[in-house]
Amino acid sequence: MQSRNFRLQKVGDVAWLEKNYQFQKIAFSLDELIVLNASRDAKSMVEFSQAVSQLMQDVFIPIAAGGGIRAMEDAELLFKSGADKIVLNSLLFNDVQLVEKLVKQYGSQSIVASVDYKKTNGINEVFIEDGVTKLDLSLEDYIQHVENLNVGEVYLNSIDQDGTGFGYDLETINQIKKAIKAPLIIAGGAGNERHLLDGLNIDKVSAVATANLFNFMGNALPNARKDIIQSGVSLAPWKLMQEEVSC
Amino acid sequence: MKTVIVDYGMGNIQSIIGALHYIGNTDVSVSSDYEVLRKADKLILPGVGSFAKAMTTIQEKKLDQYLKTIVLEDEKPILGICLGMQLMGLSSTEESDTMGLGFVPAEVTKFSSGNVKVPHVGFNQVKVNADLNLYHGISGDPDFYFTHSFRMCSDKYLNQSLCDYGGEFVASYELGHIAGVQFHPELSQYNGLTLLQNFIERL
Repeated sequence: MQSRNFRLQKVGDVAWLEKNYQFQKIAFSLDELIVLNASRDAKSMVEFSQAVSQLMQDVFIPIAAGGGIRAMEDAELLFKSGADKIVLNSLLFNDVQLVEKLVKQYGSQSIVASVDYKKTNGINEVFIEDGVTKLDLSLEDYIQHVENLNVGEVYLNSIDQDGTGFGYDLETINQIKKAIKAPLIIAGGAGNERHLLDGLNIDKVSAVATANLFNFMGNALPNARKDIIQSGVSLAPWKLMQEEVSC
Repeated sequence: MKTVIVDYGMGNIQSIIGALHYIGNTDVSVSSDYEVLRKADKLILPGVGSFAKAMTTIQEKKLDQYLKTIVLEDEKPILGICLGMQLMGLSSTEESDTMGLGFVPAEVTKFSSGNVKVPHVGFNQVKVNADLNLYHGISGDPDFYFTHSFRMCSDKYLNQSLCDYGGEFVASYELGHIAGVQFHPELSQYNGLTLLQNFIERL
């Protein structure tokens, strides 16, 4: 799914991904994968977990999977299908008890808290349920709430920047980063390798994420990785196992 | 070469099986049965989650007794991964003091938060000794994937390789046929696959 400001365009299925990105080869230039079920209909956890299983064939990096996790069984299914971590979003607000149970059962390192926000009148507001429901909490207060749940990582996503390719919301990230004790993954807006580098150079940012594959076709990801390492950022220096991707 | 992954209900077994298949080890099974474990050529002790819960389950399934016999007496090669690596130690302070299997003289304690984020999540470098079987053919300070809030420290000689995250801790140990890695080789790209290959071929 191609997303821009959370409006979705279907782009292709897992087989398409494999064909157009020679995905297993691309995976060798990444550190981790996050797979989110963005479907707007009643999220079919069974189908999604099958897609996750398929995606992780011959991919040897951690995979976090999420989107529509509402019950213990959803989490169990994803973990059984091969996910190393689960991503929770609406659940962090809607069912705190279940979140605590999941953290206790699987360990905080298995839980990623996804937080979506948008700026209105200069104030950052938090949204859940695919960016549809606005919470009556400031971003700062919501972050505190999430931190108190003992999650392993925070995945902070700017709805405004999402899919634009204009770069991350560095202003908000720099404001909020001190409030986040858990490892922080920033997302929303990456369009080129410069953005990835700018993100990684912010102290207290642990990782940068991009979902807009169209901005990183062909050799772009492996090249971005090489350039980022050359500019001094400490990324693991993976060498491609197979021949260079050509696209 | 028959590899058996010890089954006590915890750990991402799929990824480990996938990695073993990828490097050519197709005879992989998952079991808690004494006979199956005994007949294996290599054992893997996986694990993600709570130390205390793991030990309770292991004791309920009598796996502690089985493994003591098979690993300590029969000297069956075993690789502990993440929590599995910790379980073979003496104890852990997670939740409360819990006794481990005691195969390795080391204790597990929490990262003191201080100036680093906990859990320790992501790729990090391990100072390896290429003379060790686990790291055969791997030199320098290779990256492996870590995800943990508790870690093993030891002043004993464990042929340990260290990782520095808010202080040095045991990233791996190798005592003859008993090896353990805090990181996830099945999630560590080429480095991890090589290490798994080394365990299968050399331990």
